Parts: sequence; C-alpha cells; structure tokens
Amino acid sequence: MGEDAGAGNLPPGFRFFPSDEELVRHFLRQKASMLPCHPDIIPTLDLLHFDPWDFHCKALKGGKYWYFFSHRTENRATPNGYWKQVGVDEFVKDVGMKKTLVFYVGDASGGMKTNWIMHEFCLLDCEASSSSRSNGRKLSRKKGQAKAGAANYRWVVCRVCESGHSVQPCSQDEAMELSCLDEIFLSFDDYDEVSLPK
Amino acid sequence: MSISVNGQSCVPPGFRFHPTEEELLSYYLRKKVACEKIDLDVIRDVDLNKLEPWDIQEKCRIGSTPQNDWYFFSHKDKKYPTGTRTNRATAAGFWKATGRDKVIYASFKRIGMRKTLVFYKGRAPHGQKSDWIMHEYRLEEHSDNSNSLSNISSAIGDSLTQEEGWVVCRVFKKKSLNKILDSSNNNYSSSFTTDPKSPLLHTNSESALDQIFQYMGRSCKQEREVMSTINTSKISSRYLRPIDTILGATANLHEHFLKLPALESPTTVTPISAGDYPSLLGTDHSCNSYHAEVVNMQPSPFHHDPGLSDWAALDRLVASHLNGDDANAFSFYPSATGRLLGGCSAGGEGEGDLWSFTQSAASSASDHVSHVSHASI
Repeated sequence: MGEDAGAGNLPPGFRFFPSDEELVRHFLRQKASMLPCHPDIIPTLDLLHFDPWDFHCKALKGGKYWYFFSHRTENRATPNGYWKQVGVDEFVKDVGMKKTLVFYVGDASGGMKTNWIMHEFCLLDCEASSSSRSNGRKLSRKKGQAKAGAANYRWVVCRVCESGHSVQPCSQDEAMELSCLDEIFLSFDDYDEVSLPK
Repeated sequence: MSISVNGQSCVPPGFRFHPTEEELLSYYLRKKVACEKIDLDVIRDVDLNKLEPWDIQEKCRIGSTPQNDWYFFSHKDKKYPTGTRTNRATAAGFWKATGRDKVIYASFKRIGMRKTLVFYKGRAPHGQKSDWIMHEYRLEEHSDNSNSLSNISSAIGDSLTQEEGWVVCRVFKKKSLNKILDSSNNNYSSSFTTDPKSPLLHTNSESALDQIFQYMGRSCKQEREVMSTINTSKISSRYLRPIDTILGATANLHEHFLKLPALESPTTVTPISAGDYPSLLGTDHSCNSYHAEVVNMQPSPFHHDPGLSDWAALDRLVASHLNGDDANAFSFYPSATGRLLGGCSAGGEGEGDLWSFTQSAASSASDHVSHVSHASI
C-alpha cells in the first residue's frame, strides 16, 4: 500500500481522496456494521502498535494521507510517543464525529510535539439504530440497538498526514489554493483598468 | 459525463480525479498533443469561448462524486490573425491572465508552465471580477537556463512561444475574501476618477492588503503620467526627486507636495519669494508649467519650518509602529505626526492611503491616527 491506492485500475490522476462524510458514511459505517466494504481497501491496524512513520506500506495511502481502521481507545500511546487531542470534536454531518490529534514523541510527562496530524472519525451513537434498521436486520429493536451500538463504539477510521506547519493544513488541498503571490497579482488586476491610460 | 471502469460506470467511493500538475502535463496533455488515445475520457475538450465558468461543472463532471475543481482541454486561438494574444472571451465575460506564469518541474526537469487567469463578467475594461479561477497548463520543455529572459516574456504576457495549441485547464472557485475585494473595486474605480478624496474616507471598511494595492495602483498611474509629461516637456529627470515623480504628477496634488520638506539640502537653488509661492497653488496649472516650476521652487517657505522637516521623527514613528509598540508612542511626536499626517492625508492620495493602511493594521493605534488626520483635513 505504499503507492497511491487505485493507481492500478484507474487512470493517472485518480486517487483515494474521500470527504469526511464519505469516510464515515460509506467506510466506517460498513465496517462497524460488519458489512462488506466496496472497495475494501482501508486496512485495519492497531493504533497502539504503530508510530506514525510506520504507516508507510501498512495503511492505505491516498495523496499525502494515510487511512486505516482502528479500535477505538482512549489511550493513544504508541511505542515511541502518544497522540494528544487538540481542539474540540466536530460533527461530520449527522453521521459522525471528528477528533484532531497531534503526535508527541516521548512519554506523556514531557513529549515533544511533531508535525504528524491525525483525524479520527467515529460514528455517532444514535447512528446505531438507524444503521441496523437500514441494513434490514431482523433483530428485535432493543437487542439490535445494543449490539450495533457496541459495534459502532469499537471502530474508528483514521486519516494521518505529516504537515508543514499549523494544526489543520491537511484539510486544505494545495493545488486548489492560490499562492500568496497569486493573490497579490489578482489584486493588482483590479487596478489595471484604471491605471492604464485610455 | 461518466467514466467506465471495468464495466462499472462510476468511480469507486472515496476516489476522485485529483491529478498532480505533473500528471496533467506529462500524461494527459502530452498524450493530447501527440494525438494518442487516452484510455478513459476523463478530460474533455472544451471551446473556452463558448463555455461560461458556471457551466463548466456540468460539462466537466467526472462520475457522480461532488467536485471542487474541473478539468478540460482547450485549444488556444489567437485573438487577432496577426497578433500574438489568446482570445479568452466568452459570451458573458472574459478570462484575464494574472501574475507571472509558473514553471512546473518534475524531478528538477522543466515540463511546462502554468498561467493563472481570473474570470471577469462583462467586457474589458469594465469587467467585474468573479471568484472563478483557471490554471492553464501548457507544455514547455525548453531549457530554463535563460531565466531572466523567460521571466521577461512571461511578465509581458503571452509570449511568442505560447499562442497556439492545446492546453489543459483546471477551473475552481476561489474561497471567501472576494466579496470584500469586489466592493472595494467598485468604490475605487468610480471614486478615483471623480473625487480623489473619497477613497480615504471609506478605507476603514477595506482590508489592509486592499489598501496597499490601492496605494500601489495609484502610484503606478501617477508615475506613468509623470513619465509622459517629462517626455513632452523635455525637463531633465535629474531635477525630479523620487517623491516628485510620484506626487507631482497630478495637478491637484502639488500643493500637498509643497508642504513636505525637501529630502535633500537645496543648496544650489535660489529660494523663491513667498510672494511667488501662491501662484503655484492655482488648480488650473498645466503639468508642463508645473514641472517647470518644480525645478525652481525647491526651497519652499515651508522648508524652514522645524516641525515639518523632522523626518527623523517620522522614521521613529514608523519604526515604533512597525514594532508593534503601544499607541502611546504617538504622543512622543505629537507635532511632527500631526502635521505630517495632515499634510499627506489631505491629499487623499498616495501617502494618505499608506497611513490609513497603518490605521487598520494596528488597531490599537487606529483611533489615535485617524483623529489626528481627520482633524487636519
């Protein structure tokens, strides 16, 4: 999984680049419901066993991001560091929640912050009933909720990248953005018409 | 448009067409130019002159996944049969190039160029800028050892090597910011020609960057006018100090210029008498006569005013401002700042904008400055 996923079947330029909602609604919900995922490309890793630089060749690579499923845990210590949450949880539409975490090298008493950022998505608890219903399970309502709720709670899907600077640069796509210089030139354009002698 | 992968007519969930610049140039455009078949019809041919940006999303859709950017091939046509410029006008507006073309490298090898364009609604020169941006990629594999030369050609605009042929384009919508820019444009373009003072008054609502650009744009115009004036009046440019060439251009500005201290010591020029001076303040001077007088009038009566010649005070003021010092820093130089600001901002041009920029840049000091400058208008 070192190379961009999908490069074999799709023409150049296609890559795994799901939206937050797609990631939760399509991939995580299927996983949590123990239903087959198509395409079944996101591997399952144990977050606790890997430092972020170990994801190479193990997690799914799409652009500069790595994707994987993991068990949900509150202890996010890895062999050489730990993930620490920054900011507050965000809603992903009405299907999930998104946490942003930063990787620190060392132990919790005095870790050193790194450029590794992780977005961890989990399903909203209320999704349990609706997903089990929509999947047509023939379980009793009460039992179904409890079972699906437990399953939902167990899994998260993670998106990791190594960023240059700030906390959330990963969410922006560079190619789509204008550089500072572009912005300046764009603004120059505003005055071309008035400054040129007629 | 839909694409077909292994018989299935869709892109798998989570996948998007998100090519790198290298993929666009080295795979797609190269194949297009060489008339090679591209397996999947992902990038369509489009006649740019017949397609409005808001129709592109429909025409260039890939699969059913939501997209933020759209891709197409376009064949560049000349604007005029004998000219070198590309025609990028549509029924509703036109694409206008901005900035300098960017060289695209692939593992340190130059593979092409990227031009950035903005869509304007309407017709030049009265187009209204939109949020639609286009990156136009063309193959260009010439050596880049003559960097300065290529810079010059791209700075001029469409150079001779890039008029015709296939290009691959990415169109997307710029986020935010533009609303502010648009509104200030309109204010600016109308107010500039009619009333030079008004821009200063509504600069409070504009972004700091905007104000810099206004200032720069204005200076450019004034410089150009001065250059033409110099040419026609045959006045040697050595008599014009830099500040003259910027501020001295417009006739209604020169009175404010006269209030500024000379930058160099005018030991060689005979002072004019105070009686001669008021004749300079008339508003109907032609530029020629004005410049003729500039040569003679350097040591104006104001030059001997100690408060106004205190450029060091101004320097310190600016330095303290840039260092983010407290607004109280202004109180150390009350007379100097008051008069300098007053002299500049009354013109509503050039320096005035620089000051209003600093007003908004340092919010803590803004009240202070605006009180001073408004009081002296």
